[in-house]
Amino acid sequence: MILIAARGLYFAATMTLFGEAVFAAALRKRLPVIVPAATTQLRWAVLTLALLASGAWLMLAAAQMAGTAPDAAITAQVLRGTLFGQVFAVRIVLLLALVVLLACNSGPRWVALASGMALALPALTSHAAAASPANFTVIGATLDAVHLLSGGIWIGGLAALAALFRRKEANIVLALSLFSEIAMIAVLLLAMTGLINAASILLGDKGAAAPLYLAVLGGKLATVAAMLGLAIANRFRLLPRGNTRAIARNAAMELMMGVIVVFLAGALGQLPPTL
Amino acid sequence: MKRIIAAGLLFTTAPAFAHARLTDSVPAANASVKAPGQIRLHFSETLEPAFSGATLKDAAGKTIPASAAVGGTAVTLIAPVLRPGAYTVEWHGVGHDTHRVDGHFTFKVIP
Repeated sequence: MILIAARGLYFAATMTLFGEAVFAAALRKRLPVIVPAATTQLRWAVLTLALLASGAWLMLAAAQMAGTAPDAAITAQVLRGTLFGQVFAVRIVLLLALVVLLACNSGPRWVALASGMALALPALTSHAAAASPANFTVIGATLDAVHLLSGGIWIGGLAALAALFRRKEANIVLALSLFSEIAMIAVLLLAMTGLINAASILLGDKGAAAPLYLAVLGGKLATVAAMLGLAIANRFRLLPRGNTRAIARNAAMELMMGVIVVFLAGALGQLPPTL
Repeated sequence: MKRIIAAGLLFTTAPAFAHARLTDSVPAANASVKAPGQIRLHFSETLEPAFSGATLKDAAGKTIPASAAVGGTAVTLIAPVLRPGAYTVEWHGVGHDTHRVDGHFTFKVIP
């Protein structure tokens, strides 16, 4: 359970960092009239969470691999001798690079690059990578990485929008138009990669689908459907009418649901998909 | 039907698994064979050598000294000459996804 929470926390944190930086970069390029919201505190908070969650994830995954209680020697062995450990080491380097980037107040492009890599790297050791056809793990890993990055653009973008709403941004309608343009592509990629990943994990195995895995997957899909409903209402009903107050409320709900989805995805990564 | 859908989606019919699992072994589970020089276990995906392996036990549950080598998707046990009788192979494997799986199977050595 703690391992699921650590995974969920890591993904939620890196998605927020990545998506917020991508949206800030898009604003800078396409709508220079809008100064991205000052999200320094948010960035530091989620980066700290990502670092803490990473440490917990490593220790608990090492214990899981060894079939024992968390132990420093086993954790060191995982770091030295497993793919997960090597990926973890790169992730930590990236998170520490983000500490430097935030401290130096670097531009959103660099933050997006480092946080995007930190977000996508766990795809190398994901179910989707393991379930790749003919053991070409690069296929499943790439699809899962695109899935994570798309989710990050959606959820992190919502966090950036929330900050603009709090600031009572005068050009919020322009920002909303840009966000919906970016989010639509992200959601399409998210749905496509999610469908292929689920199919390869569940249908590629000889065993029957595990009921708990299906239940969590169903919960995740239902929550995503509710998020999509809110996004569609925002884009096609409320935005043309300029009803920014209702959009702000919906976007906040969407963001909360997004965090729930990320934690459910964290659980899916731990549960056996088939019996 | 499930396999056809999967193939359509993934443009391949090669089997895939989300967790490492034992796919077959030589000798096979419950087989009766002449004393094998080695016991080979094949898994569905690449294993982490540091956390995968197998041990061999006789009918009395006593561990037989055998060296285990893990490479790629296989675990190989090099055993001494085995006397006729029943033997159990206890195995464990960890894939890149960090999930641990384990199990056992038996086989018989005949004169």
